[in-house]
Amino acid sequence: MDNKRKHYPPKWPDRFLEFYCNPNRLEQIQGDAYELFYLNLAERGIGYARFRFFIHVLSFFRWSNIRRTKSTYRSFNQGAMLKNYFKIGWRNLLKQKGTTFISVFGLACAVGCCMVAYLFIAQIWFKGMLQPNKEEIYQLTYTVEEENGLVTYGSVAEPISELIPEQLSQVKNHSRVLMDFSLLMQNNENYNQRVLYVDPAFMEMFVYRMEYGYPGALREPNQVILTDELSEKLFGDTHPIGQELSLVVNGEEVLYKVGGVLADLKDMDMFNFDLLVNFESHPYSSADLPVKDAWNSELWTFVQLEKGVSPAMLSPGLAVLKKQQNQINPEKPYVELGLLAYTDLVYQIGKIKKGVRDFLGIGPQILLGSIGLFILILAVFNYINIAVLMASRRLKEIGVRKVMGSRRSQLVAQFLSENLMVCFFAIFLGCLFAGFIFLPGFNDIASKNLKIDLLNDRYVWMFLGTMLFFITIVSGLYPAVYVSSFKPVSILKGNQKIGSKSFLTSVLLTFQFTLAIISIVAGVAFVQTNYVNSTRDWGYESSDKIIVNVPASEDYLPLKNKLSALAAVNKISGSQDYVGNWIREQEVVFDEEKYEVSLMDAEANYSEVLELKVKQGRMFNPDLISESQESVVVNQTFLDRLGLEFPLKEKITLDSMEFSVVGVVEDFHTVFFQNPIDPLVIRASADTTFNYLTLKMAPGSAGSTMELVKKIWHETIPRGVFEGKLQTEVFDRDFADVRGVKNLILFSAILAIILAALGLFGLVSLNMNTHIKDYCVRKVFGADLGDLSMKLARRYLIIWGIASLLGGGLSIYLISAFLNSFFAFHSGVGAIPLGFGLLVLFLVIAGTVSSQIRKIVKANPATILKAE
Amino acid sequence: MKGYHLGELEELILLTVGILDQEAYGVAVLQEIKNQTGRKVNISAIHTVLNRLEEKGFLKSYMGGATEERGGRRKRLFTLSATGRLAIEEVKNQRNKLFDQLPPLALDFSYGQ
Repeated sequence: MDNKRKHYPPKWPDRFLEFYCNPNRLEQIQGDAYELFYLNLAERGIGYARFRFFIHVLSFFRWSNIRRTKSTYRSFNQGAMLKNYFKIGWRNLLKQKGTTFISVFGLACAVGCCMVAYLFIAQIWFKGMLQPNKEEIYQLTYTVEEENGLVTYGSVAEPISELIPEQLSQVKNHSRVLMDFSLLMQNNENYNQRVLYVDPAFMEMFVYRMEYGYPGALREPNQVILTDELSEKLFGDTHPIGQELSLVVNGEEVLYKVGGVLADLKDMDMFNFDLLVNFESHPYSSADLPVKDAWNSELWTFVQLEKGVSPAMLSPGLAVLKKQQNQINPEKPYVELGLLAYTDLVYQIGKIKKGVRDFLGIGPQILLGSIGLFILILAVFNYINIAVLMASRRLKEIGVRKVMGSRRSQLVAQFLSENLMVCFFAIFLGCLFAGFIFLPGFNDIASKNLKIDLLNDRYVWMFLGTMLFFITIVSGLYPAVYVSSFKPVSILKGNQKIGSKSFLTSVLLTFQFTLAIISIVAGVAFVQTNYVNSTRDWGYESSDKIIVNVPASEDYLPLKNKLSALAAVNKISGSQDYVGNWIREQEVVFDEEKYEVSLMDAEANYSEVLELKVKQGRMFNPDLISESQESVVVNQTFLDRLGLEFPLKEKITLDSMEFSVVGVVEDFHTVFFQNPIDPLVIRASADTTFNYLTLKMAPGSAGSTMELVKKIWHETIPRGVFEGKLQTEVFDRDFADVRGVKNLILFSAILAIILAALGLFGLVSLNMNTHIKDYCVRKVFGADLGDLSMKLARRYLIIWGIASLLGGGLSIYLISAFLNSFFAFHSGVGAIPLGFGLLVLFLVIAGTVSSQIRKIVKANPATILKAE
Repeated sequence: MKGYHLGELEELILLTVGILDQEAYGVAVLQEIKNQTGRKVNISAIHTVLNRLEEKGFLKSYMGGATEERGGRRKRLFTLSATGRLAIEEVKNQRNKLFDQLPPLALDFSYGQ
């Protein structure tokens, strides 16, 4: 009998037998199999017995023994069981309101963050994918042989569009699409707007919901369709249909009527535009160009194929078009004229030149995605820790259920169904958080227009479903499997120890703390960097200066004359670009080596107007005519980069002309601190026309004169958009951007801290509840406050120590990399952010522990200990 | 032989069940056959035959006799039904009748000449 107890039939074949066997026959078959197993065991030993058992199970796998359709009785029973799972789960959640709150709140925050990150990323990847005809739409592309091999362009010669109906019979609709920045004039106000010139068929290929009017409005060449946003801006509350506006294209003013307004696009359209205009009204189209010029002008062309037509069926027609183009334009023969699926446009970013989309912005996606993931991990770990600990209160329930014959899988189902409920609430709450708190904040920061569109966007539903499933499994599986693995005997005897001291809890907690430290350090480092940058010296005197734009060259001189006549204007100077903005790059040859430098073409007095600081040599002398042909001024970085000392003996070559360096100025920031200071050459061009005018005003008068300058500007240039600004404001947008990112990171740091604190609180308080007698006994025997706190806090302090090392190291590495990718000038991860991060976490631990210690201090040991 | 189609294994098992009287179940039948005839029959084959015989009405069964070796599971104990006994007898008679008709092992070598 003894060895019978020692050995059991192998588990897996046994389970397999239970799995397939007809329940009516299971008992006899399994019994016989067991009996034979022990017979064989006695005769021939364990190995043989196991092997025979396995063989027997296989030989029982016969048609007559295999279980078939389940009876209705069974399925009914399962429904009742499910109901029962949820009922018990619901009661449990209600019973433990505090911990349920911690779990749901944490997960909801995480879901909210993930939702925002998802919307942001989806907005990039699923842009335009809500179009119902997306599968049938293709863009024409061509490939040509260039210096560096084959290059594919997203635009094709314009006349191809006209040939489409005769050559490509399978095309249902086609449209040319031309994007243009045009000046829009309405009610004496001028705006620069993104105009999309399209054929009327565009509105049939792409489906837009209309706010007012109808999609066919574009068939009239003098009608335009506005976006909701633009209509709001132009007309406010008045009914937009029939209103008039005019566009200036290539110097011609054309009058239009508003024929329709699109419903809010929510940033989800493939094209970024403010208004749609019939292509026929573009001067480009009506002008009778010579054949060759027409073929040289290129634009996007989209076609919609008939249903069921594959793009391959168009290749004969495309070959004909290609041949035609190559005859007319032999210098630039198309290697291939192809079709690019509308749905693939996003994957071709970077591979296709002049495509519809050329920018993917991976950085912000990674930032947001990782914030979402951080928070999600924190919340999930909270949940796992708390769930395992909470189960310790239900050990008896688990034991009794097991004894009553419930299988492990059923217990797992019980815990998972509770978890499913928690996650469901979390997702619901998370959507609310995202919709009403996170998204508006984020839209504000990122100047986006993201919305949760539950009605039209099925991807959101897929995302939510996946989240629900994913979080439920990830957060619930471990607690469920762990808790259901206990042996009923040890549970009911009271031997089972669980939870708070387990290794996994410590690991999870360490990980949480580490994440929290990293996010705090990131937040503080970013704040610090922002502070340092806001007080950084720009390298020149930025006060009392106004920059105005000059839209057309013929306006330059009149405007300059009128502005210099103003009393407050001390000096005036023209420049090609202005400091504080992007400056064009040029190749410089020195000593037969080529260098890329920024080139500032300006009037000779520009560096004086801007009050650049001379380091060595001299500025330009405006009175010398020769200056513009011979001399340049460079910045210090230029010398450093080329490895030169100031009095240069040799000359540098720009545009195949030789210049001598007459002076060196101190480095100054032409672009924001995100970029390093580039080598810069200032060239005093002859007094031609420039794009910008910089006015040096009398001290203190810049702000107040702005209105006057604007008035004069409009008088001189009636058809233009005034883009004047103060020199002190040139970095305002960048500062706002950086502030936005700072807020984002601070927000996530705070959220991470709150989550870590909540999780810790849950753990400590549960731990305290189970050990309260322990502490009271200690108190009775004279343990003082310090001993008790130490006892409770020691474990968390050790974890804090480990997390400090990990988090500190990781954040030095990660955050530095992050700052480097963001700023050329930053404060780095120094003692302040690190110390702050560790301190905050320490305070959180201290606060949590002391809140529990207070309980003991206040408690009267007598009442607690006598309870039984 | 009208009605009683008994295969060779069926006949063997039917007889064994009869011999074992109240103690006939899968493993017992298996061992009895092994002891009596030295023949090793697969347990699953025995189960199949037992079930088939019960379907034909030659056997009756009930559940009982749980033991520890079986992990507390009951046996399905088979007994011979009246029809079963009739069938064996029929088969036996049939066989005897045929056997009796065998010509004696005649030492008459004239056959075939």
